[in-house]
Amino acid sequence: MSVRVQLPPVLRNAMGGHRWLEAEGTTVCEALCDLGQKHASLALHFFDEQGQVRHNIVCLHGGGLVRARDMHAHSIQEGDELVLTNALAGG
Amino acid sequence: MGVAVIVGTAKGAAVLKSKDRKNWDMSFELRGWPVTASARDDGGRTYAAVNSPNFGVALFASDDFADWKQLEAAPRYRPEDRGNPEHHRLVAKMDFEGKLKGGGRFVDQIWTLHPAHGALYAGVSEAGLFVSRDRGDSWQPIDGFNEQPGRESWFPGFGGLGLHTILTDAKNPDRMWVGISAAGFFRSDDGGKTWTRKDESVHSFGGNCVHHVANNPEKASVLYRQEHFGVYRSEDGGDSWQVWEDGLPVTEMSTGHRCSFGFPLVHDRKSGASFVVPLDGDAYRFPRGGQLAVYRSTDGKTWHPLTNGLPANCFAGVLRGSMAGDQMDPGGLYFGTTAGAIYASDDLGESWREIASGLPRIMSVEAYAA
Repeated sequence: MSVRVQLPPVLRNAMGGHRWLEAEGTTVCEALCDLGQKHASLALHFFDEQGQVRHNIVCLHGGGLVRARDMHAHSIQEGDELVLTNALAGG
Repeated sequence: MGVAVIVGTAKGAAVLKSKDRKNWDMSFELRGWPVTASARDDGGRTYAAVNSPNFGVALFASDDFADWKQLEAAPRYRPEDRGNPEHHRLVAKMDFEGKLKGGGRFVDQIWTLHPAHGALYAGVSEAGLFVSRDRGDSWQPIDGFNEQPGRESWFPGFGGLGLHTILTDAKNPDRMWVGISAAGFFRSDDGGKTWTRKDESVHSFGGNCVHHVANNPEKASVLYRQEHFGVYRSEDGGDSWQVWEDGLPVTEMSTGHRCSFGFPLVHDRKSGASFVVPLDGDAYRFPRGGQLAVYRSTDGKTWHPLTNGLPANCFAGVLRGSMAGDQMDPGGLYFGTTAGAIYASDDLGESWREIASGLPRIMSVEAYAA
């Protein structure tokens, strides 16, 4: 199913300045994999050498926060919007 | 001919351009990315390495210092490569709850980019050496270095196991050197297949914490080395080293050893002069008494301080990659501080001017005739 993914500001430059991208998948992780297959530069940012979603990436979905470790099991629906960001850091 | 200076900071790259090395224009590129290294190849393409604790390591390239495109590849270890436990501990390679992520090996920073012999080399942490032969479109690990026996016991420096120095020999493509904090300085004479430590008689504490090494690729076997414990010179490709501190400020280190401490060492090829920025030992890591000073050696023997135009109230550091020469005639020199100021000299260090300030922490500086 098709969803919209909002990129964090620092990754938009690699995508020609686009804020939103279309992705396919039934889980958050599948949506990220789909984007990584379409855009190799995004795969570098989403996944580490072990193929795991980088541990400090989080996703806002349906009013909740999805951590990297939970993205492979977190289901998404047609037309959903996913907001990618990083875990809060700093003071 | 003008000059472009690429200043990598914790939040982007300041690009300073000048036609006369006196009046400068600045733009701020790659906003939001820590820019850890840059280099320009023989074709005039400039590469900038970025990293992020959230989104990993990447490379951008530009042919005009203004339009930066991210490359679709970057140095990466294989899933099966095993990491060094002490490096994991130091760089906090943790999951969201602070647990170690396991035994994998990760590229968490590109410390240096080095074009030579038609290739582009990258030195990374966790310490490793990679090469691209297609202008960054693909990267291959140099397994002769990365998989050598003993790496599991290398001890990291304070910033982790970083391969921060790559040197080459213009006349001999099979010879190259790399430096790692704190695993030491290595040389290959067979194109990277095998490597030998070159730290004999260099003072160490545990491992050899080499901070920076420079050479002139046309006279490659003369090496200039800033070590954690002192400044050294070699005339035989690193087979032997001599202490080279006559005229430098010497301080007592935290171990009690007395030597000259600092990070960058730059060599101006045309004049043969070398430059260091001494700091007041490993306990303080700022200029002694707050007087920012560059020291120059023109004869390979003695050093002399250069302070004209440099502040007397500076308590910032200068990191290993944050000083560069433009290799023009006369040589221009540029360095940046951890407090975000850039100083430039167009007369081999005789006089200095602040050409930018208020930048984020400066992590890398490179200068190019442009």
